[in-house]
Amino acid sequence: MDLNDKIEKILEKVQKAPRYTGGEMNTEVKGWDECPLHFGFCFPDTYEVGMSHLGMKILYGLINRESWSLCERFFMPWTDMIALMEEEQLPLLSMESRHPLNAFDVIGFTLQYEMSFSNILAMLKMGGVPLESSERGETDPIVVAGGPCAFNPEPLADFIDAFMIGDGEDVMTELNRVILERKEKGLSREACLKKLAQLEGVYVPSLYDVTYNEDGTVASVTPNCAEAPATVRKRVVVDLNNTYYPEEFPVPYTEVIFDRIMLEIMRGCTRGCRFCQAGILYRPVRERSMEKLIDLAEKLLNSTGYEEISLSSLSSGDYSCLPELIRELMKRMKEKRVSISLPSLRIDSVLKESLEETQQVRKTSLTFAPEAGTQRMRDVINKGVTEEDLLGKVRDAFEGGWSSVKLYFMSGLPTETTEDLDGIADLARKVIAEYFNVPKTQRAKGLRVTVSVSVFVPKPFTPFQWAAQDTLDAIIAKQEHLRQVLNIKGVTFHWHEPYVSFLEACFARGDRRMGRVLRSAFEKGCILDGWNETFRYDLWMEAFRDCGLDPAFYAHRARTKEEVLPWDHIDSGVTKQFLWHEKEKSERAETTKDCRKGCNGCGLQRWKGVCSYANAGSV
Amino acid sequence: MRMLAVFEKGERIRHIGHLDIQRSVQRGLRRSGLPVAYSNGFNPHILITFASALSTGACGTREIMDVTMAEEVSEEEFLDRMNRAMPKDMQLSEARAVDQKHPALMASLRAAEYDLLIRDPETAEKLTAAIPSMMAKETVTAMRKTKTALKECDIKPLIYELKGEGQHILATLVLTEREACKPGMLIEALGKEAGIDEEIRMLVTRTGLLGMDSEGRLIPLERL
Repeated sequence: MDLNDKIEKILEKVQKAPRYTGGEMNTEVKGWDECPLHFGFCFPDTYEVGMSHLGMKILYGLINRESWSLCERFFMPWTDMIALMEEEQLPLLSMESRHPLNAFDVIGFTLQYEMSFSNILAMLKMGGVPLESSERGETDPIVVAGGPCAFNPEPLADFIDAFMIGDGEDVMTELNRVILERKEKGLSREACLKKLAQLEGVYVPSLYDVTYNEDGTVASVTPNCAEAPATVRKRVVVDLNNTYYPEEFPVPYTEVIFDRIMLEIMRGCTRGCRFCQAGILYRPVRERSMEKLIDLAEKLLNSTGYEEISLSSLSSGDYSCLPELIRELMKRMKEKRVSISLPSLRIDSVLKESLEETQQVRKTSLTFAPEAGTQRMRDVINKGVTEEDLLGKVRDAFEGGWSSVKLYFMSGLPTETTEDLDGIADLARKVIAEYFNVPKTQRAKGLRVTVSVSVFVPKPFTPFQWAAQDTLDAIIAKQEHLRQVLNIKGVTFHWHEPYVSFLEACFARGDRRMGRVLRSAFEKGCILDGWNETFRYDLWMEAFRDCGLDPAFYAHRARTKEEVLPWDHIDSGVTKQFLWHEKEKSERAETTKDCRKGCNGCGLQRWKGVCSYANAGSV
Repeated sequence: MRMLAVFEKGERIRHIGHLDIQRSVQRGLRRSGLPVAYSNGFNPHILITFASALSTGACGTREIMDVTMAEEVSEEEFLDRMNRAMPKDMQLSEARAVDQKHPALMASLRAAEYDLLIRDPETAEKLTAAIPSMMAKETVTAMRKTKTALKECDIKPLIYELKGEGQHILATLVLTEREACKPGMLIEALGKEAGIDEEIRMLVTRTGLLGMDSEGRLIPLERL
């Protein structure tokens, strides 16, 4: 049976076949033989998740734009598909030309969350690529990875040949050129990796040796050759207006999670919330100009036919001319019947004005993220939001005709007490009271308040990178307490699985030895860990035991100031010293101002011209 | 004015369901920039209907959409702009402008033509050989799947034409708003006649949607 027959046979049996069939609008099928360099872009989760991801759309367009490179997509198949592929001995194939993964010169994984790591191993295996860097030979592809989790690359150091740290569109083409050189000039694998290590923002883990102290902590991470720099500094796109942004997006046939145009209005956030890793990694704040955004919005609407645009960024409410932008977009989009959504509204920046303008098109539920229940706790995490702010915005929303509100919180934050948990319930009650304060004739029917409480996971490059995560017992007790105090009429309470958060914490701050746990767990059958129905906590714990490592060492241990952290050789732009200073302030519940109000001296001022808010001296 | 347009649902996208095909056509219309009419109301949508939903898993070479236009557009322009806006597995081959009073396609639909590619050549041969004996019978029973149960029904009166050609079974079957003989039902009955027990793998392609002219002849629906 030939390849296509096998594929057809499988597709007739599999659930959700459109996940695997491709051919979507704006997916380029360039001639395989016309492009010397073949890049396989792997999203280590299902199609529906991957196709919702903006970074992939940017890099897909960027690589395919070059005449000499071609980019095709790979996603993690669901379990039924994996079984069928095994039965038919079919490798993992690209969505576009149906070439197997190991036929590509470069394989690039995007690392969006730790719980997708086992899928990377699964995809490599199904694609016929040796799992570990050390097992790959001269004819095997170069496996690269980028994205937020690349900032602590150590748990994946065994499996990834080179990491791209920072803004991917800045380094992608340079990286591909080196790999093209490998192919065309017959550069050895080792020589190619050494060349890659010399690119700014590229980390080649095999060129570094790690030593450990007796207590299991890292003693040192040092380059083992002259080509590798001692620290790898992240790449930063300085001017978003002059960097590549796609003018067309692939348009899936089936519904995916974010099935709309994502217009990235800015990158970075100046707020400095102390739990937030993205807030550090994507520094500094860079805005796209209104003219550029309106031009992009029109081009994207014409090329995709989407009915909805969302303005995306970490904190869209902070965009300098948000009301003007929304008004202008509304004006132009009305005729095209396009609705505009603002997904990551922050409660202190929702302008009443823009609320009124959005509802003109559609009224969805509003999301607020106070993150903590008491002012003290919010000061600890530097969430510069007060109760009055929140209630004021909620009141505006209820008066504006909204009746559904989602509130996001975290539990397990450093210094948290029962009082802070009770504060979550108090806040929910006050929100309900605001609804009933609006005269019955003026408010929309059907009040719904959803309170989601996630488990805090300390992340690298945050002031809480030294903090211990709550133990599972403590988390479970807190969730039980929350269940009781949130038993309020009109409130729906959602919480997160503590076991997943525990494992996430192990990987987030893991060292190179976590790679062994990952491989062991994968070999025991762990895949698709981000999905409740496939997550196997028992197997993960077995893997830790087999490797002789204690998960508590990674999750529940507070680190000292002196400890060498596994990611210390990566430079995020923000200094360890600043983060420690922030940690100390948090312990005193002292807040730090928004960078837009003056430089806090996070370290970016070291890089001239990168941050528009940096002015050394005002530290 | 309304535009009746013939389009393809290619093999690559045959597993895409009807709702997703509808949404893809709507997005295609939006991309084309053609002056389509929208419904009134809070969530305006494009005024479009399809002559018949095509099953998930089936290809179609002559599916028909019926789009209400807000302004006059020539057939050529409609075709040209849509073909630039649609993916390569959903290209249009014909367009015909009709006035607002033209009868609804769905109501005029009488039958559909199918090309059934039988994956196994030997099976195809057996099926073709069984056609004369099956067609000589008074009644041909097949199982019709309803939402809740399997129902026995006689498909003999629902078969207009049936013949075998190499690996293909070509059939013209009744398809109206009220009754239909699905290709699966036909092949199941024919398989039984041929004495085949195992499941028959085939690729279904709907090659035409037919209406009936004043003289009782089946003709392509889009020309009616």
